[in-house]
Amino acid sequence: MRLRTSLIVTGLVVTLVSFGFAFSTASAARSPDKEAVIQKSPLNQVDNSTCLSCHTREGFTVELDSGEILPLTINSDAYEESTHGSNDVTCVTCHSDIEGFPHPDRTTQTLREVKLKYYTSCKECHTEQFNLTLDSVHQKSLAAGNQEAAVCADCHNPHTQQRLTNKDTGELLDYARLHIPETCAQCHSAIYDTYKESVHGKALTQEGNLDVPTCINCHGVHNIQSPNTATFRNSTPFLCANCHTNNALMDKYGLSTQVLNTYVADFHGTTVVLFDKTFPDQPTNKPVCTDCHGVHNIVRVDDPQKGLSVRENLLARCQKCHPGATANFPDAWMSHYIPSTEKYPIVYYVNLFYKFFIPAVLGPMLILVVMDFGRLMINRFRKPKSVEAEAPVAEPEAEVVAETKPLDEPEIPEPVEEPETPGEVSPADEPVLFEEQETTVDADVADESDVSESSNKPDIPEESKPLDDEESSNG
Amino acid sequence: MSGKRKNTPGTVRPQEVQHEKTFPRFSLAQRWEHAILLLSGLVLLLTGLPQKYREFSISQDLLSTPDRIELIRQIHHIAAVVLALEVAYHLGRIIYLMAKRRLPGDLLPTWQDVRDAGQMLQYLLFLRSDKPKFGRYNFEQKVTYWFLFFGVLIMGISGLIIWFPIQFTKFLPGGVVPAAKLAHSTEAVVAAIFIIVWHVYHVHVERTNLSMFTGRLSEEEMRIFHEKEYERLTSQSASKARPGEKK
Repeated sequence: MRLRTSLIVTGLVVTLVSFGFAFSTASAARSPDKEAVIQKSPLNQVDNSTCLSCHTREGFTVELDSGEILPLTINSDAYEESTHGSNDVTCVTCHSDIEGFPHPDRTTQTLREVKLKYYTSCKECHTEQFNLTLDSVHQKSLAAGNQEAAVCADCHNPHTQQRLTNKDTGELLDYARLHIPETCAQCHSAIYDTYKESVHGKALTQEGNLDVPTCINCHGVHNIQSPNTATFRNSTPFLCANCHTNNALMDKYGLSTQVLNTYVADFHGTTVVLFDKTFPDQPTNKPVCTDCHGVHNIVRVDDPQKGLSVRENLLARCQKCHPGATANFPDAWMSHYIPSTEKYPIVYYVNLFYKFFIPAVLGPMLILVVMDFGRLMINRFRKPKSVEAEAPVAEPEAEVVAETKPLDEPEIPEPVEEPETPGEVSPADEPVLFEEQETTVDADVADESDVSESSNKPDIPEESKPLDDEESSNG
Repeated sequence: MSGKRKNTPGTVRPQEVQHEKTFPRFSLAQRWEHAILLLSGLVLLLTGLPQKYREFSISQDLLSTPDRIELIRQIHHIAAVVLALEVAYHLGRIIYLMAKRRLPGDLLPTWQDVRDAGQMLQYLLFLRSDKPKFGRYNFEQKVTYWFLFFGVLIMGISGLIIWFPIQFTKFLPGGVVPAAKLAHSTEAVVAAIFIIVWHVYHVHVERTNLSMFTGRLSEEEMRIFHEKEYERLTSQSASKARPGEKK
């Protein structure tokens, strides 16, 4: 009995403990933590040395159904130095289908299929980067059936990959930047050959200058987009401006940072930037940076053979869109210069002219109009008084200023504006108005103030003329 | 003020109702010229300003696609051709009248205009109590004509250059194209400001002068605003004739 009881107790304890282990393993597996993922597989007990006992054999290969030879040798030293090796990532973390020896039957027929079979393993640890690649042009191509489209392992050899970013800051390490073009060149070799000869590529590949853009500065890293879309093209000016408006960077090479705003201010850029704001996916025939400067083959503007400062080169670029352009035509584009007395003096002086003309001419006009309006209002509101009060004041004033002009003419509109109330005009005012005119007028004025509504007989023949004209033009 | 018509007292038979005595000022052809200038200028401004000021959202709405830009430009070009034809007619007529020695020099600037402007300034500064006596066209109207004359000339020439840059750079330096672009759009803004500030004020705010549409000025307007011309036409003092009906 005692023995049975102790056996049951022991069995319960063992069961509970094993349950506890099982739970702890399961909870660790749920965590996205990298270490946990590595520990997750129950097969992690399969030590790397177990695998390497066979897979370090020189010339260890297998022939696939396609006839291709799959090398199976792993350089264990290189693996130990790699970021995976140094982080104790086991072989079976990625090769999770291998459960021991003998290995399960192969399901892949070609070398490419082998790679495609394993690339999703990366997702387990590198989730963020993997998800980015799902938006990339490479993934789209793969989904469309192109097996050659790049997957993770095409750029990052999992058995030798070194760490690419600073562990603390996440910034790309210098050596990583330096070798990016070579990575892309595995497939895009023609572009790499062009890039190598460009002002950017030369500086990178020949001088190790890390100020210049590599492939990923323009195309992005994991979520690389197609550069053949209108959206990509319309955003090009801002892409280049990332570096070319950076004062600290451009000063180092004596380059202007006015390239973007001068482009935007001139014919072409205005439209491109407008479209970039409204419908960025619409194609435009207006040139962006790359249409004149080139894409992967960008050279210095002052390059003696291919530079745009060589007039024939610029003209050739103009003629791509403006057939029939002649030697003078390229100057219609101000080549990113801000007009000055040296560069584009005509534009500079036109600008200068209007800078002075507008305030010097329109300004006084505005002042005159405001003054005119002021006087108009003052006259209107002071009218009832002015007829009596202003007239005597105006008399000496006018004598000082001018002799030949009739005085107080503004008073005339008043009876005219309100002909129904001619009584408001004081008769005493009228002689003052025409004091300095011919004396004969005075009599008429006095006469008129009495019979203001009647017309003068001698006027009739002359007045009838304009009236006839009116009738004829109306008719 | 203009176009004010007064009925005579009831004693007059309806068919004998007379307008206020008026003076012919602009011929029908001149009024048509003005109407064409006004309409084409308005269309040019409305289609041109969005092209100049693209940072405004209304411009971006208008010019958001290549098709729309093309359409706006075509409207601009059509209006420009209409205006150019108008200008050609205007200049042709001037040359024709000059050849016939019948061009009235009323619009030519004279020293009297400078003196008038000086006196006007004195009047506005309350240094005088009267406005100067003006002839057929006062200095303000002459300024309007000549300002827009040269404005249209500048815009016409610069507009042609930026419309046909390839042709013009065959015999002109390339720099004239950006210069013309700058002059064209700046001059347009200057002209627009000028019309709003100067012209609209003088014909709509200071007084409603619709003679450019009616073709005529009333006798009182003639007497008040163009006294010298009025005197010349009536060969008598402006003060003599008061607004009234003629039977």
